[in-house]
Amino acid sequence: MTQPLSTIPAAISLRGVSKLFKTADLSEAGVHPTDLDVAPGEIHGIIGFSGAGKSTLLRLVNLLERPDSGQVIVHGDDLTAMLPAQLRAARQRIGMIFQHFNLLHNRSVADNVAFPLRIAGASAEHIKQRVETCLAFVDLAEKADAYPSQLSGGQKQRVAIARALAPEPHVLLADEPTSALDPRTTQSLLEVLADVNRRLGVTIVLVSHEMGVIRRLCHRVTVMEGGQVVERLSLEHGKIPAGSLLSQWLRDFGSDTGESQTAPADPASSLLREAAHV
Amino acid sequence: MFDTLLDTLIELAPEIAKAAGETGLMMLICLTAALLFGGSLGILVFLTSHGQVLGRYRRFNLIANGFINVFRSFPFIILLVAVSPFTRNIVGTSIGPLAASVPLSLAAIFYFARIIEQTLRDVPRGVIEAAEAMGASPRQIVTQVLLVEARSGLILAITITAVSFLSYSAVAGVVGGGGIGDLAIRYGYYRFQTDVMLITIVLLVVLVQGVQFFGQWLARRVDKR
Repeated sequence: MTQPLSTIPAAISLRGVSKLFKTADLSEAGVHPTDLDVAPGEIHGIIGFSGAGKSTLLRLVNLLERPDSGQVIVHGDDLTAMLPAQLRAARQRIGMIFQHFNLLHNRSVADNVAFPLRIAGASAEHIKQRVETCLAFVDLAEKADAYPSQLSGGQKQRVAIARALAPEPHVLLADEPTSALDPRTTQSLLEVLADVNRRLGVTIVLVSHEMGVIRRLCHRVTVMEGGQVVERLSLEHGKIPAGSLLSQWLRDFGSDTGESQTAPADPASSLLREAAHV
Repeated sequence: MFDTLLDTLIELAPEIAKAAGETGLMMLICLTAALLFGGSLGILVFLTSHGQVLGRYRRFNLIANGFINVFRSFPFIILLVAVSPFTRNIVGTSIGPLAASVPLSLAAIFYFARIIEQTLRDVPRGVIEAAEAMGASPRQIVTQVLLVEARSGLILAITITAVSFLSYSAVAGVVGGGGIGDLAIRYGYYRFQTDVMLITIVLLVVLVQGVQFFGQWLARRVDKR
């Protein structure tokens, strides 16, 4: 369904990118040379255990990590070949949300959402209108004047989504967006993300170690282990193809029961979280 | 006892007013220098430190850090004497409050730079990263993120610098720098006039309390974290 056809350019295309770090015990971590293609309009999941390199792979997309080698192409533009000012302009069209929200604590909710527009030099009129639209989209219009410290975790992440949407991005990068949230909040946040994709047509790349999140949301999944892509799958209605490595993991680390598709509270759905912490 | 203290106070009122003016002048000059040059230096050292936005300018970071450490290791009274040829060069004299402002400013610049660098470390890396991901330039990261997110820490940094250099300015009195501290040394210490000593100390205590109280109040007020 969402397999990119050759005639449709990929929204994101990583070509042979690698990024390796030395960790404290001198072993290597990061991403070995790999490719990643994300079609326009899809929700693409990256899943794996801690240290698999999934966050690094995501951060290569907007060059928060500079690759040691390879090309990063977003909407036809090679980010790795850009001058700093061009890269900044390109980043303004690539939204990003984080596990720990990363809101500006000394700015109000409205000012947080206005931030990316302000640094892009948008007009006051445009900023005002976008802030209202985006806060309404995440259902937080009444919190415009609050400060982040007055919000719950789920609300903070909604503000972060509104902030990411403000400059009308084509692509949203989500780095463990629900990992700091409780199951119920996770559920409602996933609905917001699904809306972002469906109603606004934003391509989403989402990193998670929670199987429930991936199944609930993603059209395609990239499975990573030890800095390498070990599997690429298409999910139909959250169904993991039998015989895949991912279904093997699901069997090894928990029961593959049906209800985990819709209820992240189910132990099976967060099995990768459990397994990752062993 | 109280009567004589009052008499001394009235008698010395012009001296005290003059000394307070001199202290004010020294503080104004050295804090302005600290804010402008020390603040910029501290921000640059922070930005070029490992893993930060301008972390690739490692050599600048090493040199600037070295400079800060060298100036901060001088005992102030030695710095005072050591820079006196330089002082004479730019002020024309090496005595008086203006001359004392030169070593005071030098010391304050590097002192403040170090405190600012450390204060900025309290801004979570993730918040800076989020700004980078949104396409903020290093300059915007400084003005829109660092200075806003760390503002209550920055106010406290200014407060602590003001209090420290109020006390340093008294040391400048040793080489004829003038100011309240100088008054305490000349009358109170050299001439054994305990009452003058008492008056000046009370004055300094009140000043320090005032600065500290105001700084803390303001820092609390702007902190929305």
